[in-house]
Amino acid sequence: MAILKVERLSKTYKELQALDDVSFEFEKGILSLLGPSGCGKTTLLRCIAGLEVPDEGSIYIDGKLQTCIEKSVLVPPYAREIGFVFQNYALWPHMTVFTNVAFGLKLRKLPDEETKKRVRVTLDLVGLQTQEDRYPSQLSGGQQQRVALARSLVLEPRLILLDEPLSNLDAKLREEMRVELKKLIKKVGISALYVTHDQEEAFVISDTVIVMDRGKILQYAVPDEIYNRPADQFVASFIGHSALLEGKIVRVEGDTCLVSTPALANATLLCPAPRGAAAGAACKIVIRTGEVQLSSHRFENSQNVLEGVMSSRDYRGGLTDHRIQIGSKEIVVTSHKLCPMINVESGEEKIFLHIDPSAMSIILKS
Amino acid sequence: MIAASVLVAPILIVVFRSFTTGRLGVSVGFNIEGYLRVFSDPQILSMLNNSLVYAAGSAALGTGLGAMLAWIVARTNTPGKTLVELMPLYPILMPPIMKNIAWILLLAPKSGVLNSFLRESWGIEAHVFNAFSMGAMIWVFGLACVPLGYLFLLPVFLSFDPSLEESAYIAGSRPMHTMSRITFPLAIPAFLSAFVLNFLRGLRSFETPVLQGSPGGIHVFVAKVYDAMSVDFNPGLATAYSSVLIFLSIVSLLFYIRATRFSERYATITGKGYRVKIIDIGKWKYVTFVAVFAYFLVGIVIPFVVLIVVSLIPYYDYETFMKFPANIDLSNYVRVLNHPSFLSGLYNSLTLSVLIALITVLTGIIMAFTIYRTKVFGSKVFEVVGTMPLAFPPLVLSLGLVIAIIGTPLYNTLWGLGIGLFVAYFPYALRNASGAIVNIHKELDEAAWVHGARWRHVFFKVTLPLLRPTVAGALFYIFIESLRNVDVAVLLVAPGTEYGPVTLFEYFRVGQWAEAAAGGVIYLIILVVAVSVAKLAFNIKFTL
Repeated sequence: MAILKVERLSKTYKELQALDDVSFEFEKGILSLLGPSGCGKTTLLRCIAGLEVPDEGSIYIDGKLQTCIEKSVLVPPYAREIGFVFQNYALWPHMTVFTNVAFGLKLRKLPDEETKKRVRVTLDLVGLQTQEDRYPSQLSGGQQQRVALARSLVLEPRLILLDEPLSNLDAKLREEMRVELKKLIKKVGISALYVTHDQEEAFVISDTVIVMDRGKILQYAVPDEIYNRPADQFVASFIGHSALLEGKIVRVEGDTCLVSTPALANATLLCPAPRGAAAGAACKIVIRTGEVQLSSHRFENSQNVLEGVMSSRDYRGGLTDHRIQIGSKEIVVTSHKLCPMINVESGEEKIFLHIDPSAMSIILKS
Repeated sequence: MIAASVLVAPILIVVFRSFTTGRLGVSVGFNIEGYLRVFSDPQILSMLNNSLVYAAGSAALGTGLGAMLAWIVARTNTPGKTLVELMPLYPILMPPIMKNIAWILLLAPKSGVLNSFLRESWGIEAHVFNAFSMGAMIWVFGLACVPLGYLFLLPVFLSFDPSLEESAYIAGSRPMHTMSRITFPLAIPAFLSAFVLNFLRGLRSFETPVLQGSPGGIHVFVAKVYDAMSVDFNPGLATAYSSVLIFLSIVSLLFYIRATRFSERYATITGKGYRVKIIDIGKWKYVTFVAVFAYFLVGIVIPFVVLIVVSLIPYYDYETFMKFPANIDLSNYVRVLNHPSFLSGLYNSLTLSVLIALITVLTGIIMAFTIYRTKVFGSKVFEVVGTMPLAFPPLVLSLGLVIAIIGTPLYNTLWGLGIGLFVAYFPYALRNASGAIVNIHKELDEAAWVHGARWRHVFFKVTLPLLRPTVAGALFYIFIESLRNVDVAVLLVAPGTEYGPVTLFEYFRVGQWAEAAAGGVIYLIILVVAVSVAKLAFNIKFTL
């Protein structure tokens, strides 16, 4: 049975449509809600927790109906048996680490011995066993984050909701914590719904990802599919570094197609054919610019070669950005340090881009 | 709901009754006779003028002085900072009525200490000082306005972003020029807020107009309302005067709201951590020290000394006054403490103040919690209703209540008095609790909620413990304010339901100055003890 089922959820704040007819099912594992700020992901999470009441739709957790506007069912948050980690942790400043974590257990009237044991086990799990008498203000950001997580985990919920839990940490700690968080959730064996606006974080942490924009679900798939086959233009531009170009399908051959691009001086490119592709259809070409090979001369017998002029080169350490003018369009190609150095200086000399079909995807215009 | 109707009823009644005439309890027709009498009163224009001059004058004096003191304390290298910092606040401790009594003793035209001194020592026969003049009224109430001006301006000068001044220096502006062109202009909005609030307090103030204004023939609206009730017992007239007062109050309250909005746009606090730059004012630092010290002397020490001396001499006249301390005598204290009405007033005011503080603060918290943390229908209406009494002078509120409960068993009981005090102080409790609850991040509640807490758990385990410091402050503020209240209680007391401060007020009105002084000293001792206990036990800061 799916741990979470959302049916036709809608919510409007005054003018803003925060959720627009959202439906999905989530079996188990870690699912990320990914999207820019204001896309409705936090509203969706808060509706699932019962902190927000949608205008329409229903929510099932573990097969039990929690919210159904049509049937006037609204289970209050305290009866949903879920975990919730807030963006700024929301630790109660007047309680110690121990009392913060024990809060839910005390409400459930567990014997003191049992409470103590479970709090200790959980604090152990998150690596805070020595901090239980401290107050939240005496802890670092990363430690506060672990307390917030422990406070939810100690109740052994079947589903835990996390609202951008790492966004208040600095970049380095964030990268460490996301791996640790994933390990922890997997170890405890519960399902998690994870809200983030960071594409990389979503990919690292989750089994499946939902990409949202303007209150709608645009794509629900595993990270690899979202990266390689974005369902639409928004997903393509939101995920990773890519160049988006207008194109027109010239010919379809099996699972490949030939696309002409007016922006790149009418070059034709061999691309993987999307489902339902037909000659003459207008489309968008997504070129993942990290997967493009650069050279100072044209390779023999190679397909999909574009010719351009380098306007500038920006050194970023391990990576280098090359700004290349092709026809009327500037494309930024990122190359890794280990790639062969390109001996082309910015200026008049020509540079060649070799684009493998696997570095591209085609989005048909509807 | 009950709280809401208790709050609204007196206000509606005042407006409604202002259209009627006749004695209370007699059925009356709907007419505008009261208004006709008010507006045909040849004194109406001079009253309006008096009210405005008095309120504006005191507000200007008090806010100006307060701002100056705040700047001295915050930005100059005046010596003895820790001492000087709190000096402008001590006068808050002294109940307003005692300041009036003390200054009348000092400034009264014939018998006052200062005029007598000039006459006896230098042979100046003219009454240089007149306690019953507009100038003296502004002087006494203006001094009482200083702490508020100080409290409003001090944070502005303390948290001023130094880069605003530094960029002026870089642009070539000298310190004095920077002060006048950058620092002071940026403090204007806070100054305006304090000024308008002090102006409003002036319009509502009771003791000064009744004790100093009316005897000198300077009539303002509050005093007229009081006279209409205490001399004529004409509610129609009293309510009609009240309506004019309500109108003035509401207009200035609207100004206040505008002034505070304006000051938000002038935000000078940028959230970055920095130390305020102290300006070396050279030799002037001794002048500023003397200035602060002088305010401290005039604001509390001199009135207090005068009261103590007068309370310790057998009766007040200049000759006996000057013989002090040879003629120390506790007879006033003995008389006051043997006086049944003083004792019952003391007892009533202490018990009622404790109860009122507890009840208003608790209701305030529950109401604020309902407004900001639950989705109960119409909770925003509660907020408006709960704040509404602020717009009305306390005397007018109690007038409305008198009319509402006359003829009911509540009239002339401590219950009636209690309801009056509740209505007057509830808005403070509500605003205090609202401010505190809004500052507690909503996620702290939600976190409790999703982890299994119901509303009552959220309230008792999260919200209430986090509110503790604010709650303690509000409790003591309302306790102290209520313990020295005259203007709400004055219309609601009766034999058997005496209220301490009103008893003092009556002593003074009938000329028992020495008894009034002795009673006042007893009150002040109780207040100082209460404040010290609060400070020690709860570590409360009295900065409102």
